[in-house]
Amino acid sequence: MKRRIETAVIVTLLAVPLALALLGPLVPFAGGERARPFDPEAPWPGTDHLGASVLDGVLDGGRGIVLTAVAATALAYAAGFPVGLAAASTRRRWLDELLMRPFDLLLALPSLLLVLILASIAPPTAWTLVLVTASVNLPDIARITRAAALDAAHRPAVEAMWLQGEHPWRIATVHTARSILPTVAADAGVRLVGACYLVAAASFFGVAGPEANDWAVMVDANRGGIFLSPWGVVLPAALLVALSVGLNLLFDRLLSRRDTP
Amino acid sequence: MIAYAARRAGLGAIQVAAVAALAFALVELLPGDAAVALAGDRPDPAVIERIRERMSLDEPAPARLADWIGGLATGDLGTSLVSGRPVSAIIADALQPTLILAGVTLVLLLPMSIGLGVAAARRRGRWPDRLITTTSVGLYAVPEFALAVLLVSVFAIGLDWLPPTAVGAGSLLDEPLVLVLPVLVLLARPICSIARLVRAGMIEALDAEYTAHARRAGVPERTVVWAHALPNALAPAAAQIARTADWLLGGVIVVESVFVVPGLGTALVDAVNARDLPVVQGIAVVFGVTTVLVNLAADLVAFRLAPRLEVAS
Repeated sequence: MKRRIETAVIVTLLAVPLALALLGPLVPFAGGERARPFDPEAPWPGTDHLGASVLDGVLDGGRGIVLTAVAATALAYAAGFPVGLAAASTRRRWLDELLMRPFDLLLALPSLLLVLILASIAPPTAWTLVLVTASVNLPDIARITRAAALDAAHRPAVEAMWLQGEHPWRIATVHTARSILPTVAADAGVRLVGACYLVAAASFFGVAGPEANDWAVMVDANRGGIFLSPWGVVLPAALLVALSVGLNLLFDRLLSRRDTP
Repeated sequence: MIAYAARRAGLGAIQVAAVAALAFALVELLPGDAAVALAGDRPDPAVIERIRERMSLDEPAPARLADWIGGLATGDLGTSLVSGRPVSAIIADALQPTLILAGVTLVLLLPMSIGLGVAAARRRGRWPDRLITTTSVGLYAVPEFALAVLLVSVFAIGLDWLPPTAVGAGSLLDEPLVLVLPVLVLLARPICSIARLVRAGMIEALDAEYTAHARRAGVPERTVVWAHALPNALAPAAAQIARTADWLLGGVIVVESVFVVPGLGTALVDAVNARDLPVVQGIAVVFGVTTVLVNLAADLVAFRLAPRLEVAS
């Protein structure tokens, strides 16, 4: 019974922001003529800092956050997984150290600081946001892949393959990579939640440039009018909170189900 | 202990050097001519010339690296490209509000998260535990700025109980009401992660043989929980407490921006937006070195609490 309530909460929390993010841009919304910025008399939910309807921004603003987070997570895996796998599979200790040590240094820095610093020298575009988020997530992914692969790469089966003269590259890709896939897939949810958080925070600080109009940018742009037209801030912020809480509860549930079958 | 501390401090020193080198490398990573890139949308020759002179970009990179490291050692971090003030003066001005925010948060964070974690572990499986666990899982990754504006619209605008920003407040300590919402936002994420770890550690410790033995020997339950089980449960949490220093610094940047607190985070965001690279470099070094030192301290505390963990790894 309690589990059912939890499921209902998770589904509701996720359904609204995800539906808006995926279907919102498809809704033909006649924005109508522009009214005054932050017009308190405009029909609910009021107008934004440019005088357009807040509803319009809410419908269009979800896709950017979700797509950027997914793209950044995928990119981080594409780079981090091979590095972690190579570091675990190699029999040369110096190569392992060379691949992994730089990540220890990156992990010593606050991630939002890293995002802001990288943004200070990169041009502000949507791709910058993807690249910066991916590079901040990279060290964690490489470390987790390496930790999982270390175990798999030193099993008796692998030793036997070595003795048979199987090519190390083939052992790593065919045997090791396959056997750690479940562990890494379980971790992917956590990474996606982290990417969502970073994308939203970075977007709030304008890393994606002046063209972007996602929910985080809306919160930032409409902050000045929060007393006149609070919905322009409250709606996108609430959607972001629902999205991250829902994703977190969902992945936590999947993980705990995996641990206790 | 001393051997471990020396080894760990050596790693910390390398990390500090790497932070300084990374901050220096920012200039080298700029595409093309750094002075032109920093001048941005208004490539006025006079502006470019001034930037080049202030950052001595005409000198070769090794000479500038030597200058930068020598400057770090003496506290000279260069001058701002925008205001022309020394970076160290800008940092010194912005330090106090940030220290107050971080200090108040840390003072509240440890007792609250440890209390919640212990409470949940002692009532395992019953409703207080379910409530604490679900809430802490849910709030774990909520972006601070979204939480902050929601709290502002409810408590500052809807109910009118608290001030919405720190604008007009002299010192943060003189007007404690100004601090309530920022500190709440800063606490949200770290409390969740530490409470979860303390709960997990406490459950393990309360099930261990030595607690059962202490109970059989007639040690009062309160002593068992707080003096025997808790130190063991805290060792794994100590590392996470250090990681939350990461979140706390990141959170400080967001919270200062939302609540208009004139601290280091606001200075950093302003400098990033204005492409004021010397200020960005200076603040990056301050934040990076702080994180390295906090991690170092936490590892030493964790080692002191449970030396066998380090031996095992």
